[in-house]
Amino acid sequence: MFFTKIGRRRFITSASSAFLGVAVAPFLNARSTWAKTEKMATPEYRILGKTGLRVTAVAMGVMNCSDPAVLHRAYDLGVNFYDTANVYMAGKNEEMVGKVFRGKRDKVLIQTKIRFKPTEQENRESIETSLRRLQTDYVDVLLWHALQTPEEVANPEAFEFMQKLKKEGKVRFHGFSSHSDMASLLREGAKSSVHDVALVSYNFTHSNELKEAVGIAAKSGIGVVAMKTQAGGYKTEKIGSLSPHQAALRIVLTDHNVSTAIPGVTTIEQIDECAAVMGTELSREDLGSLDQYHSYLHGRICTMCGGCIGACPHGVAHSDLLRAVMYRDAYQDDRLVHEMFDDEDRRQKIRQCAECSSCFVRCRRGLDIHAQLRSVHTMLL
Amino acid sequence: MGTENMAIHNAFIGLSLLVCILIPWGSFSEAELIQTLLPKNMPEEWVQRDAAEMFTKQTLFEHIDGQADLFLQYGFEKSVFATYQDKKTREKKIDLDIYDMGNVLQAFGIFSRFRNEDRPAGIGLDSSVGDHYAFFYKGKYFVVLQSTGSSSSDVQQLAMAVDSRIADNSQPPREISYFPESRIKSGSIEYFPEGLLGHQFLGRGFKATYIETDDANAKGESETFSRDSNLFIAVFENSQEAIRSLKLYHEDLSRKGVCQMGTSSQFGPNTLTGKDPYQGKVIIAHKGHYLVGAIGFENEKHVQDQLSQLIKRIKQKPCGMYQVAK
Repeated sequence: MFFTKIGRRRFITSASSAFLGVAVAPFLNARSTWAKTEKMATPEYRILGKTGLRVTAVAMGVMNCSDPAVLHRAYDLGVNFYDTANVYMAGKNEEMVGKVFRGKRDKVLIQTKIRFKPTEQENRESIETSLRRLQTDYVDVLLWHALQTPEEVANPEAFEFMQKLKKEGKVRFHGFSSHSDMASLLREGAKSSVHDVALVSYNFTHSNELKEAVGIAAKSGIGVVAMKTQAGGYKTEKIGSLSPHQAALRIVLTDHNVSTAIPGVTTIEQIDECAAVMGTELSREDLGSLDQYHSYLHGRICTMCGGCIGACPHGVAHSDLLRAVMYRDAYQDDRLVHEMFDDEDRRQKIRQCAECSSCFVRCRRGLDIHAQLRSVHTMLL
Repeated sequence: MGTENMAIHNAFIGLSLLVCILIPWGSFSEAELIQTLLPKNMPEEWVQRDAAEMFTKQTLFEHIDGQADLFLQYGFEKSVFATYQDKKTREKKIDLDIYDMGNVLQAFGIFSRFRNEDRPAGIGLDSSVGDHYAFFYKGKYFVVLQSTGSSSSDVQQLAMAVDSRIADNSQPPREISYFPESRIKSGSIEYFPEGLLGHQFLGRGFKATYIETDDANAKGESETFSRDSNLFIAVFENSQEAIRSLKLYHEDLSRKGVCQMGTSSQFGPNTLTGKDPYQGKVIIAHKGHYLVGAIGFENEKHVQDQLSQLIKRIKQKPCGMYQVAK
């Protein structure tokens, strides 16, 4: 499954190593270690819906990344699709993408996002600014950022503006991103048939309704890009041959209605881990591990998916308290749990919940909410 | 009970009562504080449109979508948002966000990630002002103003009004002052709560950009060439953690690049030099709770001088803020 590859960057590095060895040696009394060739995963490609673009199954959400080295690394790993937005870090994020891929523009696909504004002039200013920051004449995919209603998805003004940009050659394909009511928006997208791409949160915690909507959108020709693929980030031990991060990503990619996933990465180690998922064939053992992981998450970890059924008869906002369960189990961060319960009011509530014998709140994913809240209370004692 | 004991007893009861009164009041006023930072005495033509909106760790996402992740990484606590509008020209409006980031280190950190170019305007502890925006941080607050149709002076005026209402007089993180001033790219110091230089094992720390010119340029000759390089300070819980991280970097470079680790006559034991495949030449030295280094440079002599200066300036342990900022 793996093969050895020496990229251009690595060749340059290796070639210049000799110089460095000579240059720094005089002031060090030490043993030198030489560069070794790494094993890299084979990129796995998929087609981004009706755009026909050939994208790597694992792409990169650049949003919180500030170090060009991480982008360089992603590029060397074969990742060819990069997602940013004009608002990220007030434009610095787009600037970094532009700087890193200057001279390589034809080898990468760039997706950015702008917010829909009331006038064409404002929208035009947004895209022109993005193009300037990205140091390019065009973006491969331009999305309307964070749409919330089906009406916004079907907005003819927004569509007409995108069509103009397409004709002007500033945008190759367009679409929308959404964080809320995503199933409805995807269905509307499929119905109205004006969008090429949709970017939605999609991971193992989401409902069948969303899964179906992703399928409907993909069948209509929309290229579905998945974000928030790790549902909060898991720092736990490896399960089988895949780390939990990788397992979460693989689960998303198992759905072939998803063209590409854009896990948000900020370090070289994270992009290494994510990119390694590409090109891997899941063995029977891996599938078993995934099942194990999935069922492990199913009954144990609250991912704040919002799928709680019922309400507390005493009016306690249980979803607020469940955040502690996510911090403890998903983020593995006890400090956050303790910080959260610095507040006496919350301490009182968790105590009340732990001692309650009439909990009516149920989790659609099978999490025993009452038991979880009791265990958080025990942890705080 | 003697008179003296009685007096102590009374004083104790009085103190307890005072504590009982002040603690809830303190909590209440703290909870209310962020809203009170919204300017009330606006120039005549400006009014606050609609009621202010408050956001918490759970709801920030509804306001700024995916960017909330970055704010949470920097310890976001709560924020308030309000829109101000020109009564005469209704298209002119300014959106104001005031974010409580928990402490001045985190407020500086998020500010440093947003600051695009060095355009200070003397607002707060540091600020960046453009035609349609202003950012600044002061104490534990990070403040963002974005305008539509209004002038830069309107934005600055509103920013200064917020500045004047923030009473938190915390000083900037001391590590900022450790970086040598010579050839530093103004406004380039950034703080990362994790993933410094894009490496998980380096954890949190500061990075500054320096402009490196070649010797010909330094001598004023016609051919000029300049490039950016970085100095950085990684901050750890203790000295052992710092060394452990250095070893991890050594292992990483051994796999991906080229490196040497040993004793330097200039920087002492535990000095790593090498070449990072993505960032170029690197030198890292260890000092107490810190790893300090330079990366992406060409002129070794010059960078060694800068690094020496940086190391000399570090005289204290990291302050307590890093414990919560981790």
